[in-house]
Amino acid sequence: MKRKTLLCLSLVAMLMTGCVDQMYVEDVSLSLILGLDLDKNGHLLVYMSSPVFNKEAKEKEEKVEVKAVTIRDSRELFDMTVMALTSGSKTQLLLVGKKLLKRKNWIDYIDPFYRDPKNTVTTRVVAVDGPVSDVIFFRPKDKPRLPLYLANLVDTAYRRNVTVKTTLQEFHEQTTEKGITASITEMKKDHKIMLTGTALLDEQSNYKLSITPHENKFLRILQHKTKGDFPFTISVPLESNGHDHWISFSTPSIKAKTKVRYDNHFIFDTDVKMRVVITERLFPFNVRSDTAKLQKSIEKKMQADFERLIKKTQTKGIDPFGFGIYARAYTYPEWKKVQNQWGKAFSKADVNVKVHVTIGGMGTIK
Amino acid sequence: MKKYAYNEITLMQYIFLINGTQVGTGVLSLPRILAEKAGTDGWIAILIGWFCSVAASIFLVKAAAKYPEDTLYEILIRFFGKILGKALVLIYMFYFAFYAWTILVNACLYIKAWFLPKTPDYIILLLFSIPTFFVARNGLRVLGRYSELSFYMVMWIPLFLLIPLKDGNWLHFLPLLKEGWRPVLSAVPTTVFSFLGFEVAFFLYPFLQKKQHAVLGITIANTLTMLFYVFVTFVCFAYFSPDGIIEFNQPVLNLLKLIEFRFLERFDMVLLAVYLIVVSTAWMPCVYFAAFCSSQLLGKQDHSNYVTILLLIIIGLVFWLDPTWIESEGWQKMVTKGGLLLAFAAPPFLWVYSWIYEKFRRRVNH
Repeated sequence: MKRKTLLCLSLVAMLMTGCVDQMYVEDVSLSLILGLDLDKNGHLLVYMSSPVFNKEAKEKEEKVEVKAVTIRDSRELFDMTVMALTSGSKTQLLLVGKKLLKRKNWIDYIDPFYRDPKNTVTTRVVAVDGPVSDVIFFRPKDKPRLPLYLANLVDTAYRRNVTVKTTLQEFHEQTTEKGITASITEMKKDHKIMLTGTALLDEQSNYKLSITPHENKFLRILQHKTKGDFPFTISVPLESNGHDHWISFSTPSIKAKTKVRYDNHFIFDTDVKMRVVITERLFPFNVRSDTAKLQKSIEKKMQADFERLIKKTQTKGIDPFGFGIYARAYTYPEWKKVQNQWGKAFSKADVNVKVHVTIGGMGTIK
Repeated sequence: MKKYAYNEITLMQYIFLINGTQVGTGVLSLPRILAEKAGTDGWIAILIGWFCSVAASIFLVKAAAKYPEDTLYEILIRFFGKILGKALVLIYMFYFAFYAWTILVNACLYIKAWFLPKTPDYIILLLFSIPTFFVARNGLRVLGRYSELSFYMVMWIPLFLLIPLKDGNWLHFLPLLKEGWRPVLSAVPTTVFSFLGFEVAFFLYPFLQKKQHAVLGITIANTLTMLFYVFVTFVCFAYFSPDGIIEFNQPVLNLLKLIEFRFLERFDMVLLAVYLIVVSTAWMPCVYFAAFCSSQLLGKQDHSNYVTILLLIIIGLVFWLDPTWIESEGWQKMVTKGGLLLAFAAPPFLWVYSWIYEKFRRRVNH
């Protein structure tokens, strides 16, 4: 009897947990997108886009712009205007204007994401080329609501390595790790929203360089992150008659291996082994008999592209590839001396990329 | 006739009681503390800490084995006489009570910060007390069963830590012993303290069925704890960058925050709720032994009243003090200082003392 009473009591207690401290979904404004930008006078602007759960509302999305001191301060200002209480627990994207990215110590603004245990850290960090308001207040007719559209856009583009996908947590790793500089998705709005590639930041997390989707694939390979698809379309230098020889291939397997030595400066040797399957060829060529020749020319072209990207980053003094992590792991005494100015040390380093291409298949036609 | 025939515990219960008492909330912040002191070599310090705790455990069992039917209370009185012996038991009682207090307060603060921010502390502690009362008012056998059952129930938790591991980077660990042995040794005290809890074996020994396996059992318990700590630390070090990890107070929870499924976000909250079971196996033995000591001191058979009193005192204190995170950390430091004496210094001392005592007594008898 006593047991039964206890059991009943505990069951009742379990059901009662929802009775106090409850929160209706109608009473929450989930800020699915949070935008940060600077206005003309250098004041912080915070944008928010949140879904509206109401039958009578014609637009199912609220978008607000406020001028605030910090992100947390902006919440109060949002609460003053939006229908319900603002909550950051489901934020999908953090849009950061390029203007803000160039400001010193802008990274301090995102502190609440890490500090408040209620906030999520799987938010995608996106750099916006141009004003953030253009993106936030954009209402495309042929797309679902903006947060869903943008989140999906970034996720799928990341699968084909058009851009990187950096969550806030990964961003924190990249900014605190001395051996790598951060790289984030870059977005632009002209008449529609486009992912333009990847924005590379320096050690102080200030904007330094933008790279194209094509270059982004090389970045990913050098980061040893060879998951997802790596489709390439390149013009191979077969003969020097000035014609473009366009060829496309997918890469079922890419293996990258980095070695590091120190000889007055850091020397990195990266071997990239690729297995390619031709998916498109716009010039006559006998792949069966001249495999080696085609492999060579692809290797040559890829190698040149790798080198160009590395040169570009070295002149800016950034290391988005994470070569510094290798330097720390294998040449620790030398690394220790330069760890606080790794960008500078990396710009003096030699990076030799060797590409080995194996043509695994030519497709179903000759 | 055996004194504790109705409350004997099996070897498994003995192992899981010790292991349960050792693993509490400490592991959530352990990787950060190790990284602060010894960088990514901190995991080596766990192995050294494990070695120390196994050594102390063996001394403890050897000392307890001299008088296999006696609890610590009887041993201390036999050694030091009534007054001094009772005073020493009083110290143990206060130690366990205070230990229980710090774990309960700490668990309460976690729950409050992560999912019950508006619930008052004393309500949370009241909720903790209900199951604690039902388990701890019974004998050791019930407590042992509870520990064993909870161990099986939460065995799946480490599996989820494997999910973020795929984004880990093993290069963080290289080179081994970056700065030599000194930082590793400086982290050893921390890891030694994280093994605290095996001192309950002093009280468990007389209840153990197969006393010949006592040394084996306590070694297994320590090893289980060590494996869990090393595993968690490894995953954290592999995922977080060596410079980034020290910024998170509880890196383990930050790690769990990253686990997302299509149907489930914020896995850290789910896991923290389940992890409470693990934490409860740490505070319950402490509550039990504090009550057990006081009932023996006052010469009572039944200890359940003392459980009630202790829990009421704890709830009252929380109501009155409203502990903060910083206070809680201070108390933990005090416990670890006490633990150093009672768990690491006392067993070898008692062992040596019992040896001298026996010799001396024999000489008197002859």
